[in-house]
Formats: sequence, C-alpha cells, structure tokens
Amino acid sequence: MDYFNDERYWDIKLLNKWFAISSILFLFSIIWMFVDDNDDEYKNYQKDFRKLSVQVEREKLEIEKELVESERKGYELKYEQAQLELDSKSGLLTNLKERLIQAEGYYYKANMEYLSKTADIDELKYLYEDQEVHSHKSEFHNNKYKEDYNNALQVLHGFKLIKEEKELNVSTLKAEIKELESPSKLASDELNEFLKKLNLVDQKLKKLDRSEMSTSNKIADVVRDLPIIDFMDPYYKINQIVVNDIKYDVNFATVQTVDRCTSCHLGIDNPDFQDAKQPFTTHPRLDLFLTSSSAHPMEDYGCTGCHSGRSRGTSFVTAVHMPQNLDQKKHWEEDYGWEKMHHWLKPMLPAQYSQAGCFKCHSNKPYLDGADKLSHGLALIQKNGCNGCHLMQNFAKRKDPGPDLSKIGTKTDKEWAMKWIKDPKSFRHNAKMPSFFGQDNNSDPASIKRTDTEIFTMVEYLFKDNNKLEGNSKKYIGDKNNGEKLFNAVGCNGCHVITPDKSDLPDINNSYTLLSEQGPNLINLGSKTTSEWVYKWIKDPTSYWPDTKMPNLRLSNEEAKDITAYLMSFTDEEFEELDAPRLNESELDTIALGWLNKMYPEVDAENKFNQMNYSDKIDYVADKSIRYYGCTGCHDIPGYEDSKPIGVELTYEGSKPIDKLDFGYIHDIDHANYAWFEQKLKNPRIFDRDKVVDPEDKLRMPNFYFTDEEIEAIVTAILSFSEDQLSPDIIADRFTSKEALEGHRIIKDLNCQGCHIIENLGGQIADRMELPEFAPPNLNTQGDKVHSEWLYHFLDDPTIIRPNLEVRMPTFNLSDKDLNSLIAAFQDIDNTDLIFESIHSVDKKSSKYKAGKKLASSDFGACNNCHFYGDTFPLQGAITWAPNLAMSKERLRSEWVVEWLRDPQKIMPGTKMPAPYIPTSDLLDSPGAEEIYGKSLIELGNNDNPDIMLEGLRDYLFSIKGKTDISNIVKDYFKENGYNFNEEEEEDDDDW
Amino acid sequence: MLGLIKDFIDFLTTPTISFTLLTVLTPILFPPTDWFDKLSRKLKVDKLWTNKGGFVGLLLITIFMVMGYTDPNFSKILMKPDNFPIVLLIYSMFFYIWWGMKQAYENDARLAEGKKPNEYHDPDDKVLVWPDLVYIEFIALLLFMVFLIVWSLLAAAPLEEPANPASTPNPSKAPWYFLGLQEMLVYFDPWIAGIVFPMFIIIGMMAIPYMDINTKGNGYYSFKERRAGYFIFMYGWLVLWVYLIIVGTFFRGPNWNFFGPFEFWDPHKVVALNNVNLSEYIWVIGLEKPLPSNILLREAVGFLVVFAYFAFIPLALSKTLLKSMYEKYGSIRYGTLMFFGLSMLALPIKMYLRWVFNLKYIVSIPEWFFNI
Repeated sequence: MDYFNDERYWDIKLLNKWFAISSILFLFSIIWMFVDDNDDEYKNYQKDFRKLSVQVEREKLEIEKELVESERKGYELKYEQAQLELDSKSGLLTNLKERLIQAEGYYYKANMEYLSKTADIDELKYLYEDQEVHSHKSEFHNNKYKEDYNNALQVLHGFKLIKEEKELNVSTLKAEIKELESPSKLASDELNEFLKKLNLVDQKLKKLDRSEMSTSNKIADVVRDLPIIDFMDPYYKINQIVVNDIKYDVNFATVQTVDRCTSCHLGIDNPDFQDAKQPFTTHPRLDLFLTSSSAHPMEDYGCTGCHSGRSRGTSFVTAVHMPQNLDQKKHWEEDYGWEKMHHWLKPMLPAQYSQAGCFKCHSNKPYLDGADKLSHGLALIQKNGCNGCHLMQNFAKRKDPGPDLSKIGTKTDKEWAMKWIKDPKSFRHNAKMPSFFGQDNNSDPASIKRTDTEIFTMVEYLFKDNNKLEGNSKKYIGDKNNGEKLFNAVGCNGCHVITPDKSDLPDINNSYTLLSEQGPNLINLGSKTTSEWVYKWIKDPTSYWPDTKMPNLRLSNEEAKDITAYLMSFTDEEFEELDAPRLNESELDTIALGWLNKMYPEVDAENKFNQMNYSDKIDYVADKSIRYYGCTGCHDIPGYEDSKPIGVELTYEGSKPIDKLDFGYIHDIDHANYAWFEQKLKNPRIFDRDKVVDPEDKLRMPNFYFTDEEIEAIVTAILSFSEDQLSPDIIADRFTSKEALEGHRIIKDLNCQGCHIIENLGGQIADRMELPEFAPPNLNTQGDKVHSEWLYHFLDDPTIIRPNLEVRMPTFNLSDKDLNSLIAAFQDIDNTDLIFESIHSVDKKSSKYKAGKKLASSDFGACNNCHFYGDTFPLQGAITWAPNLAMSKERLRSEWVVEWLRDPQKIMPGTKMPAPYIPTSDLLDSPGAEEIYGKSLIELGNNDNPDIMLEGLRDYLFSIKGKTDISNIVKDYFKENGYNFNEEEEEDDDDW
Repeated sequence: MLGLIKDFIDFLTTPTISFTLLTVLTPILFPPTDWFDKLSRKLKVDKLWTNKGGFVGLLLITIFMVMGYTDPNFSKILMKPDNFPIVLLIYSMFFYIWWGMKQAYENDARLAEGKKPNEYHDPDDKVLVWPDLVYIEFIALLLFMVFLIVWSLLAAAPLEEPANPASTPNPSKAPWYFLGLQEMLVYFDPWIAGIVFPMFIIIGMMAIPYMDINTKGNGYYSFKERRAGYFIFMYGWLVLWVYLIIVGTFFRGPNWNFFGPFEFWDPHKVVALNNVNLSEYIWVIGLEKPLPSNILLREAVGFLVVFAYFAFIPLALSKTLLKSMYEKYGSIRYGTLMFFGLSMLALPIKMYLRWVFNLKYIVSIPEWFFNI
C-alpha cells in the first residue's frame, strides 16, 4: 500500500473507538477514586452515632417533658392570660405604636438637621481658626468668619432644642408601650426560664435530627457533606486533638501527638453513652480522665499518650487496636478484617494492660490510687526482687527481698537448705523464693544430676563459716496457746500469715491482698529452725539481719517465748522425710571443667583443674553456681558484695522492639511483646525448648509460679517501662520533694499499709482480727493532724496513744533521714509542709475557753468518760478508752482539731468518737438558757464565727494538764486485767 | 505431588543451578551461531517464538504464579505491594521479548525466501503529528492513568516504620530496580559492584552505536542478521540483570540467605560462608607459608590474573579465534568491545569461582579498601 501525506497512517475511526473506551474507563476510575476517597470508615461510625444521639436526645426530651409536665400548664395559663389582657387593650396599643412611628420620623428628621449643622460648624470653626492664625502677622486684622461662626452656633442651638424635644417624645411613647406589654413579657420570660432545659434539648435535637429540620436546613445538611464542598463546614469530619506535651519518636526527630481517636469514639466523654456499644461507649473513668474537671483533661493528654496506638489512624485497623487474647483476635479478624500493622512501633495497649500508660508520668510514687493493677505489678516486682537481677533505673531495688545469708548456719542446717533450694514449694506452698530447679530446661535426669551437685556445693559454701546452729532448748518455749493469741493480737499478721493449707489462700490477688504477704507464710518453722533462733529473731531482728524490714514489737521475754512456742509448733513431716540432693563427684568434675573451659584455653583449664583438690572444686563450683543463678540479686552473701545482677536491663522494656525478644521455636503464642512477657513469666525457661544449648548458657530465670492475675499485673508494669518522651510539665509529682517521694517508698517498703489505711489503701490486718474496731488507726489526714516534731519522736520510739488497742505500733529500724522522709510523705499527702510550728496558746480568761470547758464537762460532752486526762483514768471501762487528752497540745495541730470535732466520721470513718454536742443559737436564745448553758456559751451564741464553740472546746482540750506518756500505766493495767474487757462489758456497748 | 513439584522448583531455583541453567539456555533461546541454531531447531525451542509458543510460555508463567499465590510461604512474598512490579516485570519481559522475537523469526523466514521484511510497507519517512502521534499518545496516557489510579486504589503505599539505625529491617532490600546491583554485592567488593560496574554498564551502552558496524537489520525485526550481538545483549540483560533482580526480590530472605520460592523464610537459618582469598589459596594452602608482609608480593598472583584476563585474552583471541573480527573492527573498536565484554563476563566467572572454590577475592587488599 502506498502512503500519501494527506492520508492517515492509523484508522481514525478505530482510534476514536479506543479514545471513547479509554475516556469512559478514565471517568469510571475517577468516580471510583472519589468514592474511595469519601467512603471513610469513620464516617459510617459518625452516621451511626448521629442516629444514636438522636435516640438519646429524644429520650432526654421525653424525660424533660415529663419533668415539666405538672407545672407547665400553670406557667402557660399565666402567659395566656397576660396575652389576653394585652389583646383587650389592642386598640390603645396600635394607636401608641402608630404614634411612635410618626414620632420616630420627626426625630429622625430633626436629628439629621442637627448633625448636618454640626458639620457646617466644624468647617466654620476651622476657617475661623485659620484666619485667626494668619491675621497675627498683620497689624490690622478683621476676622470675617467670626460673625458667621457665632451666628451658626445660635442656629445649632435652635436645632438642638428641637431634636431633644422629639427625642423625648419617642422615649415617652416607648415607655408607655413597654408598660402596657410588660405583664405578658414577664409571663413569657418565666415560662422560658422554666422550660430552659427542655428548650436546650429541643434545639440540640433540631440540629441533629434531619426529620425535625426545616426544608432549607435539610438541604444544607446534605450539601455540607458533598465531596469538595465538604472542606468548609462538614458535619462528618475527622476530630483531632493535638497534644504538644507528648511526642512520638521517629528516631531522628520527635513529632507531637495528633489524636484522631474521637473521630469514631464519639461518646467517649459523654456520660449519656455508658451503655452504648463500641466505639461509642463512654470512658469508664470520667472522674479521672477526659472531662475538663478531671485530672487528665482530653485537650491536654489526648488518648494515645496513655493507650498508645497509631494516633493518626482513622480506621479500626490503622489505629492499631490490639486484641486482648487470641479469641478476640480471631473475632476481630472476622468482623473488622483486623491485621496487625507491624510497622507501627507503639501498638495500642490491649485493654487489660491500659494502666501501663500511667507509669510514664506517675513513676515517682510506688503506688497510685486508681491504677490498682499497675501498683500491684510494681509491688510484686519489688516484693519478688525482679529488680534485684534486672536493672530498672526507673524502679530501683530497695531492700533485699531475701534474708541475709551470712549467719545462715545459726538458723538452720545444710540438709534443710539443700531441700529448700531444690524446691522451696515443697516446704512452703507459697514460698517467696522462686524455683530454679525442676524447670522446663533442667528436669531431665542428666540436668538433675548436675543441679543436685550445684545445690550441694552452694550449701557447702554458705555453711562454710560454720556458725553454730542455735539450740532447741526448752527455756525458749513458753505457752503455745497464749502465743497464738499474742500472734493474732499484737500485730504479727499485719505482715505475716500462717496458712498451712494452700486452699486457704485468698482467691483473688491484688495490691490489697499482697499487703498480708509482706513477710513469709510462717508455717513449718519447727521443721526448719530452732527455738533459740526464733526467740532471738523476734526479740531483735536486726542482730541477725541488720537491714531487715522486720520491725521490733518490743515483746517481753515471756511474750517472745509464747510466740516462739506457737511458731515452733508447726512442722512438716513430709518435708523432713524428703531426701536431700546428693553430690555426684564425676558431675562435680564435669561442672568444674566446663566452667574452666569457658574461661580459659583448654590446656590452662586442664592444668587448673588438676591442681584443684576436692574442696577447691566444691568452692569453685559453688562460686560459679551462685554467680550463674544470681543468688545475690536477693540475698546478701559474704564475698559477693560486688556481684553484678544477672538479668537483662528492663528500664525501657516496654519500648523494646519485638525483634529483640527471642521467641526461640515457640510459635503458638501471639507475636507481641506482652504475649512474650506473659509466656516468660508463666514458664521462664520455655524459650530454650528445642534449642541446643550448653548447660552454662541455659536460661536461668527462676519460676515464681505467679497466678494469672499476678502475671497480668507484672506485665502491665513491664509494659509501662517505656522510652516515651514527655514534656516535664506533665510529669506527675513533679512538685513533690525528693524527701517526700522517698517517704512514700518507705511506706511501701515497710508495709505500713498492712496495718494502716494510707491514701485509701491498706488496713488489711483488721480483716484478720477478732474485733476489727481495735485495729490500728486509719492514717487519713495524718500529715495535717499531728506536729511533725511529735511524729518524729513517735516513729522513733512509739508510745501508747490508743490505750485499749492490744495491737502495737512496732519500732522500725529507721535512720533520721528515713524519719524525715516519712514525715514529708505524710505532709505531702495532705499538702502541708510546715516543719516547725508554734504551740497554740490558750487564753483561759476568754469566754471561748470557758464555753469549751462547759461543753467538755459532764453536762455535755463528758470527754472524760472515754479519754484519759493525763494519768487520770476515764470514767468508763476499758472498752471505750480513748487517747490521753493531756497529749493533745503537743501532738495535734490546732486547725486540724477543729475539723476533727466538726465531723469525726469524715476524717476517720467508723470511729467511735461522737461529734461533740454544740447548742444551736435557737436554744441559746430560749428563756432560761443561761441557767443550763452558762454565761460564756450564751455569749458565744451571738458570735459570727460558726466554729467558735469548736475552737473553745479545742482550747480547753489543749489546756488539759497531766502526764503525756501513759504507756506504763496502761501496760500495768492490762497486765493485771487482761484484754478481755469486751466479753465482760458487752452490755455497756449500747451507751455510745 | 504438588509438594514434590514445589520441592523440585525450590531445588531448581538454587542460584548455582538456576544460573547455570539460564546460562546454558540463553544460547539455545538466542542461538549466536549456526551450531546453536541447529540445536535450537532440533530441540524445537524456536517454536517458542510462535503464537502457540507464546501462549504456552504465558501459561507456564501463570501456572507458576498461581502456585505461588496459593502457597502459604510464597504468597507472603508475592502479595507484598513492593513486589507487584516484579510480577509485572516477569510478564512484560516475556511478552515483549516474545513479540520481538516472533516478528524477527518471521522476517528471517521471509528474507530466506528472498522476500522483503514485513516492515517494508511501513512509511519510510514521516507520519503526521496529529493525529497519528498525538492521538495515540493521548489514548496511551489515558489508559496509563486508569492503570495508575486503579493500582493506587487497590494497593496502599508500602510504607514502613520510621528509619531506625538501631533496628534495621531483615532482610534490608534496595528498591526493586537496584536488587540486581545488590545481588552483585554478594560476589564483589562494594566499590566494584556499586560504582565500577554500574558505570561500565552506562558507558558500555552509550558505546554500542559506535561499535556496531553491522549495516543489516536496520528498520525491521531480524534475529539472524545480528544474532551474536543479540545473544550477548540478552545474556547481559536477562541473566545478569533481570534474573538477579528476581533472585533479589523473591529468593533472598532474612540475613540475605537464599530461600526457594516455596520455602519458609526462617530467620534462624544459618548458612556457613567460609570464603578464602586467592592469596590465601596460594600462600597458606598451596605453599603452606604465612602471608608475606609485603602487600604487593602477597597479591602479585591476583594482579597477574587480572592483568592476564584483560590484556592477554584479547590479544590471544585477536590472533586466533577472532582474527577476522579484529581485522573488521580495527584495534580500538576491538579493544573497547573486548574490555566491556570481558567486564561483563567477569560477573558470572566470579560467581562460579565463589560457588566452586569459595573464592572471596582475587586481589584482596583490605588495607587500601581495594578488592577485586
């Protein structure tokens, strides 16, 4: 075919067809693009939420309508009547209104003329002044504008009078109309005020519910959300909160958090949606979070600062929600097409671990009211000594969780120690000491041979110093029954339990139940140690273990003997019959050579080994084993003062990338950090499974046999150790002094909450006392209550305050620094910080004092019924005894006493102290009052200060003289009479 | 059965075997000499360049892909949005080569019969800009836009976590078009694989027009008239570049270990890499002596080998096998051609030396960061 220039190379019709097809395809792809771009998941949620809101508002409207129903008629009738009355005067009103229109017209004209004249005058004034300035230059001057200006002023004055007259007309007419209309207006205002709430709901509903809208609003409501136009003011839009104080780290820069969670979680801060389904459900703790009155307003803290997750995500998957367990994961995959966006480094904390977010800011105090799981986890970490082996810079180890082993030889024998190390649970079912042996990676016969030998050598080493085992002499054994009574009365069970049977342990585990496990479960001591040791230990714990947390209860020799007898009565024959691990000599050689080969070239190792005799080998293997198992993480062992913790550092464990966690060959758990932690705590050695590992390189974290609840709590704590960057402005307790923070830690270390309620937690001892009302006091407002100086002396050397409590405040082994910290902590709780305070002075001549004296007298308060006045005993029996009032002045702070007297129940719920009787002013004014109440009280009745009578009472209490420390008197009394007052004087109980 | 086939494919894709297979297959697919041409026709490989052959080829690729998408391990890799272009590459590479070869073989047949090539009737000078050029360009643009829009709607951008120097992805892969280079890095020092070779590729391609003195085969598809050039280019392009990209994309897993397509990417997999330098072979293994402290003495043999490779081989060939070519091309053209050709050939040679002898470097001077 020949080709000509005017012809086309391609068939143009075919090209046209191609063009048509491609254009249509292009159009469809563009339409698809628009649809895809506008079809966001969050919009569907917003549409659902709108429907739900309409429903909620309608219900509210119904409720409001019902509320006003009864009275509404009255208001409406009143309004209608006023309206009717107004209608009857309609002729007059119309007339007035017409006149007003006319008058306003006149005024308008007059005002216009007046204003234009003013403008003229301004011009003349300028000309006049101008002329005046120039005329100074010539001798003769004649200002021709002067006259014009003056004339014009005259004219303006005329206009002004006219204008003012017209103005007056208008205002008079207006006033008349207003007066005529006012009854109707008033009735309408009243009606509106009455229906205010109803109208608000109604208006809100009209904005939400399309069916309630006017036609034009209906159209606008559709149009505002159309593509492209929706940039202006759409109804369905992304909601976001920008949080500057919490940053997301992108390694080379940090970016502020932008939380878009509220695009779908629309009811999160609205209490109306508590029962709505997700994602609309209200936050469960609006008292703490989100609302502007809470401690964490939404605008300042956002959502992901605590919960983590991808804050900019606007769909279920892209927000990186994380399922709580494999079941939920399956559901999510089916229902939402969920998959893990593994490129997002901070996935959301699964719901059960939400509290891990708290620690980022609240890392300074060891317990946090409102975050029980986290506090529980932290307490477990401290109690079980996790931070003894794992460095946690933000949650450091405080005191050794295990006893000092330097004098172990005086306490028990080798056989017991070997059996205990091999399996602590065989001796004490809830032993704090974890199990190193019989675990997933060392239960085969070869491993048992090895570990038995290791145990043997370690025990040999520990008992090497040959401290002599103390005796089992009868002279340390007292009355067992009395010992049991004492054990339950003096306060031992603030920290210890005696639960021989595993099934008697509490079903639940939380920070409260943990308080009873501060010390060991004191079972089977008879199979472990000697009476002399127990006696000496409870008499003075620090002589055996200088750094112990165990306090001194100041027991008398008899009391100590009785308790010893009680404790020694528990034995475990089954345990006694167990065989202790035996040494296997060839295994000893293997272990020694194995370690030597790890450290030295084989020839050197061989040489060194050949130079060792039997006891050298024992020492060498013991040393290696103690270091390998990290015994010194929890125990003081002589010679290991410089040993390093054996675990991996956990300071930022919550932020550790998941590929740094070795899942080994375990594939049946979720590939998430919390799943790994859970598994590690459940079975610490499991990741060795199927691996070929030398015995010296095996995993060695011991098994604590945590319950599922405990694991959840500990994992919460571990997840909370994050690297997140926070502005120092939002760190909690940033204004609390270091001293006070240390004090809070000491409160936790010493388990003060085992006996006392502090910051809404504690006092568990009361549960296990026969008479909970004789439990140690609630320490609410303690910082506000007592003088710091008194508190210092009291903590240093406790005296008896509540005379009828058999339970004792122990003497703790505290330095001055510790004591100051403790005081600072109590003051911090109550926001007081005065260290030195003057003694409140009392004017005994004032009527205030006299009135107080009257109120305290037997006629009214009769304080001396229950309270000691120095060494004067109370009038009533021991069951109602209360603190010595002679001590009040130096002990109590004057402002606090007034608050206390006002309402004792508020400060100490359940106290037997009644609020003092205060006569009302009516009574004081009644005839003959002076005879009953006395002059001073009548005088006070006229005082403006409502607290004046309480102050008077306080002043009287502060002036009571007498012995301040009545400990010996009280002790002597009870020595003679015993603590059985309850049974004897039960009938007196009703006198209260 | 399917498992066996998969295992067999895994076996075939091992670099040593698949590379050897491809190296053997290329001259049969694109026969550079009469002998290979005969072999190709005897094996009926030339039938690939017919409609039926193209269909069978596409079918085989598709069967492989279907197997891949249904396999739990391979599908994970195939479904990655990053790897979609490679799937596209495999199809388009096959289709366009097939299309070109088909037309070339048709023309070759026509020419053999003494007829003119198919393209003879095409306008030999110019066509109109409108509509012949602009119109089809516009249609192509529209279709391509549709393609891009649909692609972007169906697959989200494959973004990853913020770059973190303390935690790099495993495997760390270059963008797909650089995976051939990354594969070369396994066998060569970075400065050769990353700098010298890419430069040679660019310069070498720029030099092709100046070295091509073959006047035949212009303006129409033809294989026979320039089959040696065709073969060399196809070997360089398909085997030394595209194949390496495919290996890098589909077969390199954690720790840059090799995995067959149906194999699980086990991060625990360990492969021993005991590589030995030429100098170590000579001094330590051969002569049982310590390495000389003089660097140049130590690497003397290596330098000699490299020198011989680039100087002696062309010289020897110009006197013997390629004498006629040397005369036809002249010394400069011949020299340049040989230099680039030998550089290209160095890659497979080095690969085989590594596989067979564990040879690390021929010249190894880490002191100067100079390794060949």
